[in-house]
Amino acid sequence: MAAVTLKNVVKRFGGFQIIHGADIDVNDGEFVVFVGPSGCGKSTLLRMIAGLEDISGGEIAIGGKVVNDVEPADRGIAMVFQSYALYPHMSVEQNLSFGLRMNGNPKADTERRVKRASEILRIAELMKRRPRQLSGGQRQRVAIGRAIVREPQVFLFDEPLSNLDAELRVQMRVEISRLHKELGVTMIYVTHDQTEAMTLADRIVVLNAGNIEQIGAPLDLYDDPANRFVAGFVGSPKMNFMAAKVVGNDDDAAVIELANHGGARLRKPLSGARPAVGADVVLGVRPEHFFEAGEGDCDIAVKADVAEHLGSVSYVYASAGTNVGAGPEELIIEREASRQRANGDHMVVSIKAGRSLLFDGTGARIR
Amino acid sequence: MRYQNATAYRFLAPYLLIFSIFWLWPIINSFLISFQATRTVPWRFAPTFNWGRLIGDPAFFNALKNTLLILVIQVPVMITLAIVMAVLLNSPLLKARGLYRFAFFAPVVVGEVAYSAVFRLLFNLDYGIINKLLNSVGLPRIDWFSNVTPAMAVIMIAVTWRWAGYNAIILLAGLQSIPQDVYEAATLDRVSKLKQFFYITLPLLKPIIVFCAVLSIIGTMQLFTEPFLITERGGPGGGTETLGLLLYRQGFRSLNFGYASAIAYTMAGLAIAISLVQLWLTRDPK
Ligand SMILES: Nc1ncnc2c1ncn2[C@@H]1O[C@H](COP(=O)(O)OP(=O)(O)OP(=O)(O)O)[C@@H](O)[C@H]1O
Ligand SMILES: [Mg+2]
Repeated sequence: MAAVTLKNVVKRFGGFQIIHGADIDVNDGEFVVFVGPSGCGKSTLLRMIAGLEDISGGEIAIGGKVVNDVEPADRGIAMVFQSYALYPHMSVEQNLSFGLRMNGNPKADTERRVKRASEILRIAELMKRRPRQLSGGQRQRVAIGRAIVREPQVFLFDEPLSNLDAELRVQMRVEISRLHKELGVTMIYVTHDQTEAMTLADRIVVLNAGNIEQIGAPLDLYDDPANRFVAGFVGSPKMNFMAAKVVGNDDDAAVIELANHGGARLRKPLSGARPAVGADVVLGVRPEHFFEAGEGDCDIAVKADVAEHLGSVSYVYASAGTNVGAGPEELIIEREASRQRANGDHMVVSIKAGRSLLFDGTGARIR
Repeated sequence: MRYQNATAYRFLAPYLLIFSIFWLWPIINSFLISFQATRTVPWRFAPTFNWGRLIGDPAFFNALKNTLLILVIQVPVMITLAIVMAVLLNSPLLKARGLYRFAFFAPVVVGEVAYSAVFRLLFNLDYGIINKLLNSVGLPRIDWFSNVTPAMAVIMIAVTWRWAGYNAIILLAGLQSIPQDVYEAATLDRVSKLKQFFYITLPLLKPIIVFCAVLSIIGTMQLFTEPFLITERGGPGGGTETLGLLLYRQGFRSLNFGYASAIAYTMAGLAIAISLVQLWLTRDPK
């Protein structure tokens, strides 16, 4: 059992700075997911915690002990790799026991640990096989088993499911969740799939280009993102962003005019500093937060181009107006039933001030 | 379908014809010749003439002994050396990797005669650099080419020098195909670098090592240039005569083609047999 603390952690490769001072507190027993687009430095951060990359600046502590100069094997961590990294020439059983055998662990204890791991992951019948005789999902189980056998204080996962097909991914996701409950140990999990992050995490760390954009519980990030990047990254389909301008200000609200919707205006109550009149802003509305005409605070007309009917809901891909230097503004609108036809039909939907978010020109939230 | 096959064979015909005349026929013919007495005119069929002589010929057993001696000492030493070189070449700490890779591979490209001449000079009794080095550390000079043991050593050193780098490059390709994360997993499992080498690198490299060993066995079985040029036709006194040299002596000096063919078949048979034993010993347990 151990907490993991990152203090102003920096990583440079040669002259290139990849991680720009990360501060993260992972509590004991917590499931934390690092999420972000490809190349943002998630793996690098995880590998620094594991000790596979050295730390260019700052401090990493595991269980209260600074581990900057501690060997990977002595950090009390176990890692599951995206490519499984199983020993190809060893049977499943040998894969699980290799580390313990190499370190002179008593035979009986090794057998007990291997048996326990194989029971937890239900791979007992695969013990004599080689990795190449296993399916992707089975290999992933063995890789997780190898981590369990080490009885670590912290599990590290680097995109463990990204080589699996969609169905298996969902299944393994549930298993990893179950594993976390069963073992109750700290887990840090890296993925670029926001659905995985939302479903698995106690808390999510959103990374972007080596910076932490926000840390919070999945629904907090969904409801109350700190900035436009997080708002766009969390949630599927993505949040819609509509160009707008501030046209009025009063004590507790700003009035904005949507640029692409024929002068439609929305009064947006705000608690913080009001933006200046004339400032360009962006209004964010999730696909599921468009209401029937007249039900919200501001109606807009759009052209419905394509509709996707998923059964329970439909997504209407709509467009309106023209942004300067870009095509028409594209919107994704969720409709409850699949009645909506879309072949250039006009439709009117409504936005609620309380169900939309306002961002300034730099992408920061205006609250 | 049959028509298509026929067309394919018509396209292949020129190759098959040349292959048959210059490759297949000599192989078959030399097998037949090995059963003929070729010192008489005309040649006559005498199945035991050459093969009977072979099993009782001290020159054959001398050449066989020399060849096998070189084989059992030189091949393991060279493969071990090649593995060490490959691991060093693969080290991330190494600077100017391309230069070393070229340097290790270069001996293969050097002409056989030139390289033999250089080795004769290196090991020259009076002004060879090897003897100078021995002298400088207080050791006596060695007359490399007048005694059998040092002469054999020179041949083994020369062959090793020529082919170790070649094998190292093949092994390097094998090393580079081992995924890095397997080593990272082992590091997390607290497995030392040395143990990683013996428990991960060597087992995963085994197919390539076996491949190199088989290539080297075949090459050494046919060893000819070095004893011919460096130790002057298997000298001293046949002490370094190999099967390849004996074959040459019988076939091209004495023009005894039947006996030479029998020797050739023995060499090929031995190479195949030893390689098969090697493959069988190192097979994957199923
Ligand atoms: N050894 C290295 N040398 C130089 N740059 C590196 C090295 N490893 C990673 N980088 C760079 O660091 C950045 C972050 O890489 P990292 O692998 O952490 O990304 P990631 O968030 O895990 O992406 P992905 O989702 O694609 O796995 C990338 O821009 C990458 O090019
Ligand atoms: Mg990664």
